[in-house]
Amino acid sequence: MKQLRNASFPVLLLLILVVTLALFRLPVVDSLKLLFAGSFGDQYGWSRTAVKSTPLLLTGLGMVVAWRGGMYNIGGEGQFIVGGLCGAAVAKWCVFSAHPLPVGLGTALILTACVLGGAGYAWLAGWLYIRRGVEVVISTILLNFIALQVLGYACSGPLQEVKKQVPLSDALPDTWMLHKLNRQMDVHSGVFMALGVALAVYVLLFRTKLGYKIRLVGENARMARANRLDVDRSRLTAIVLSGALCGFAGGIEYMGMAGQVGAGFSQQWGFLGIPVALLGGLHPLICLGSATVFGALFAGSENLARFTQAGATLVYVIQAVTVLGYVGIKAVSDRRVVQEAG
Amino acid sequence: MEFISLLSYTAPIGLAAIGEVLVQRAGVINIGLEGSMLTAAFFGMLASLATHNPWIGLFAALLSGLVFTLIFGFFTIKLAADQVVVGTATNLLALGLTGSLFRSRFGTTSQLISVPRIPSWGGFDPLMILMLLSVPVVWFLLQKTGWGLAVRACGEYPKAADASGYSVNSIRFQALMIGGLFAGLAGAYLSLVIAGSFAENMTAGRGFVAIAMVTFGRWKPHFAFLAALLIGYAVSLQYKFQTYGSNIPYQLMIALPYVVALLVLVVVGKGSSAPGALAQPYRKDK
Amino acid sequence: MSRLTVSQLTKRFGALTALDDVSLAFEAGEIHAVLGENGAGKSTLMHVMSGFLTPDSGEVLLDGKKIPVGFAFQCKHLGIEMIHQHFTLVPAFTVAENLALARLDGLAHITDSKELAAKALSIADKLGWRIDPDARTGQLSVGQQQRLEILKAISGDASVLIFDEPTAVLAPHEVDDLFRVLAELKSQGKCVILIAHKLTEVLSIADRVSVLRRGKLIASEIRSNVDAQTLAEWMVGELPSRDDVPQGVAGDICVQASNLSVLGDRGETSVRGVHFEIRKGEILGFGGVDGNGQVELAECLSQIRKPSSGEIQWHFSNQKQAIGYIPQDRHVDGLALNLSIEENMLVTALDDEKLVSGPFLNLKEVRAWANRLVQNYSVKAADASVAAGSLSGGNQQKVIVSRTLDQNPELLVVLNPGRGLDIKATDYVHQMILEARTRGTAVALFSTDLDELYKLSSRVVFMVGGKLVEDEGALSLVGGAP
Repeated sequence: MKQLRNASFPVLLLLILVVTLALFRLPVVDSLKLLFAGSFGDQYGWSRTAVKSTPLLLTGLGMVVAWRGGMYNIGGEGQFIVGGLCGAAVAKWCVFSAHPLPVGLGTALILTACVLGGAGYAWLAGWLYIRRGVEVVISTILLNFIALQVLGYACSGPLQEVKKQVPLSDALPDTWMLHKLNRQMDVHSGVFMALGVALAVYVLLFRTKLGYKIRLVGENARMARANRLDVDRSRLTAIVLSGALCGFAGGIEYMGMAGQVGAGFSQQWGFLGIPVALLGGLHPLICLGSATVFGALFAGSENLARFTQAGATLVYVIQAVTVLGYVGIKAVSDRRVVQEAG
Repeated sequence: MEFISLLSYTAPIGLAAIGEVLVQRAGVINIGLEGSMLTAAFFGMLASLATHNPWIGLFAALLSGLVFTLIFGFFTIKLAADQVVVGTATNLLALGLTGSLFRSRFGTTSQLISVPRIPSWGGFDPLMILMLLSVPVVWFLLQKTGWGLAVRACGEYPKAADASGYSVNSIRFQALMIGGLFAGLAGAYLSLVIAGSFAENMTAGRGFVAIAMVTFGRWKPHFAFLAALLIGYAVSLQYKFQTYGSNIPYQLMIALPYVVALLVLVVVGKGSSAPGALAQPYRKDK
Repeated sequence: MSRLTVSQLTKRFGALTALDDVSLAFEAGEIHAVLGENGAGKSTLMHVMSGFLTPDSGEVLLDGKKIPVGFAFQCKHLGIEMIHQHFTLVPAFTVAENLALARLDGLAHITDSKELAAKALSIADKLGWRIDPDARTGQLSVGQQQRLEILKAISGDASVLIFDEPTAVLAPHEVDDLFRVLAELKSQGKCVILIAHKLTEVLSIADRVSVLRRGKLIASEIRSNVDAQTLAEWMVGELPSRDDVPQGVAGDICVQASNLSVLGDRGETSVRGVHFEIRKGEILGFGGVDGNGQVELAECLSQIRKPSSGEIQWHFSNQKQAIGYIPQDRHVDGLALNLSIEENMLVTALDDEKLVSGPFLNLKEVRAWANRLVQNYSVKAADASVAAGSLSGGNQQKVIVSRTLDQNPELLVVLNPGRGLDIKATDYVHQMILEARTRGTAVALFSTDLDELYKLSSRVVFMVGGKLVEDEGALSLVGGAP
């Protein structure tokens, strides 16, 4: 039954895709062709897909860790932004100052700052939950909006580029951007780092003591407590790791694609990690699949500009409906299992 | 006049919060509130534009708030799925749907559309009055009617309501539908009273702030309203500071309501006044 | 004609047949007890009769007329009311509000809770009960809450009253009062149906006794025709073993508590200044009715909950995994039902160097170890990779017991180990506990079941209102002496 359920997803997705296109009065076949061409049609398509999938994968992994640990982290967006901001702040010191650091060391420092920034921002929500009982769902969403404003302020203020003309941070010189495979394509080393991170998260969750504790607390916190595990600590660790992953995603976007942070730095990457994680069955390796599919959709949807301006937002619709479909199917099949077990 | 404009800043969150009090008392957290408000704002704007009649726009807003909340209710109550997951999905759906429809109709150029608004008299608009009236009405519903007693039982200890012969799921649905109407009112307020227009993601988290205000208001309609007033005040400060040409960056002013909401939650803490069975789907056979 | 008749009732839950062609008659003005082991079908039968469940076949007749099944609301209208074992009272409501909820006639009215509750309150008065309509239900004692449950039922002019294990949570004097009320109801011509499993209680109050076993009706007799032995044989099929419990030799002190107090989840003092010690190789049994501080004391002994005052000292020779804890509620505190058996077992073995090297888990070793435990403890499962939620209650308990005892704890804390298990599984778990004791483990056994308590304990104390009371003839009152 479970296999049947899992196998039905590509079909479900395709169906939803077709129906959505039709509902928006887009020519279905032509649109599908364009989507495919834009994402997998040639090496440029693959490259676009890869770079769009990367932040989705990383934030998706972040959501996997948090949700597995029982913490409803909806704050991927804020953690992504704060990660990017910390990276840009450190870059101001180690790239744009009078004595810039060597690229390798500097990159490591910047990325570390991103990780710590995201982790710290998530820690805040976690700490508020543990100490004051503030529901993580609400606090992380509020923190998202706060982060967005801080981003706007920073880019028009302390982090603004030297000429003070646009609300953006200084643009990283090409030598500082993550190494690209090839001058013409966007694929950068961050893509491969993300793959490594996915593997690392898998190992963490399923092959380490820490990951086991995180999962156990997420599955049944009372049982963990009855066996004298530190529930609060596990939960805090889960959300901090989650924030770290989202912060890292911000860093990779910063150093791999954008080169600078501005108000539009995050295109909902943090938030979109949630459907990626959910449709990836909250499993780090399956997220590789769901992130790629949605990255492809985003990459391909740019091609739809000929027919509609609504490219990216259509993908939101598709993601949302797919999640709902997944939830619905799961609920119905779970119910059948319960009935059979009596 | 000060008070009236304060009410105006408060209304989108206040209306949503009052409805959400009812919903949470029944045991459901409508995480999808944000999405319901957004779709209501959009379809309200669209209807008003198409018919040149803001009242039809209001009706459309109510309808879409209701329908969208119905979707949330179907998955969380009928199918007993996780409320956070479903809510997040419906919010994403709302974002994508309204964004896509808006872009395909109006493009991404920042031309300002202007639609007929709901009229106001001396600063008072009917929705504002509805909000003020709904506080005692909701209180009365909860405390003095049989339905309210059943609703509270469903939120505190649904087994008792079940044992008395009531369908917990039906009652929760009913409360959710009323919440949906309030979400429609709140969304309509944004596009048909304040802005006379629509912008992508114009709700900007107000739904979540409303949910936070329910917690701060200890699940009582009058306190939730007062809490929303606090946020309205924070919002009004944005404009005050702008007019006084202060040095404080406007972004931090925009962030202020969210910071206040967060601080409010931190100060209040968890507390034991939350309805006992909040956010737990009810299954009949144990 | 009988007041209430069930005819050929059958109810299945998936593969389990809970009721198998049961036909039974209940008369007005009579106290009719239905007995049976856990899982015999008593509760299912009552839920069908009161409309909470729909049977797969068969009928329910009231005064000879067939009534619609599966609609609790309608059954209430027809006068069939059930007083549940697990109360259906809203803790946050006042007494009046809870009474009003039960008497709401549709939802479209403006109501005053006190008005709706008036009838029930006057009945309470007539029964000699003092009830404060404005009291918060959650703060009432268990006995008072039960009175509220009963009032809910009888204030509606019910003619058939079904009591589901009412004495399970009552103190001895409260049981006496309950029986007085049951006799009063009987004299008013009501049909009183009692689900019970305490034989001596049943024999003292019932006019007629019926026994269910595995969904089938075994016998239905007037009380004068039966005795405890016959009933036990009918209930069980074969009598449980009553071997003499070898006492064992008590060794050094393992745990010592002096003036120990522990707070409960709501800040109330659940354990009040108790003194006791448990020695290695002995089982100290803590008896008493649920809700007198057992869970809090057990959690304190297991170092899950901190004491609020006083002292408790553990004397362990090896600090690692010295404490084993078998919780009361398997599904809530014992297992993560979605995880596999081995993942559920691993929780006690996280310090085992063979299974965990540094930060990493040795999955192969873990699997082998878990499979060994599954084998040794006869857990009925294909292997250790299946989900814990797919096992039966007895096997789930075995998973918990096996992972706990495998660590050779020096102190074993157990709560109601046999609850919800059939006889075979219960005997098995008891055997394991006795073996642990023989190996020199100090055991703290908390049980509300006197049979279990006396079968296993070297010494017995009772918890009443958070204090410890020595065993002093309370037995005969509660009616469970072996």
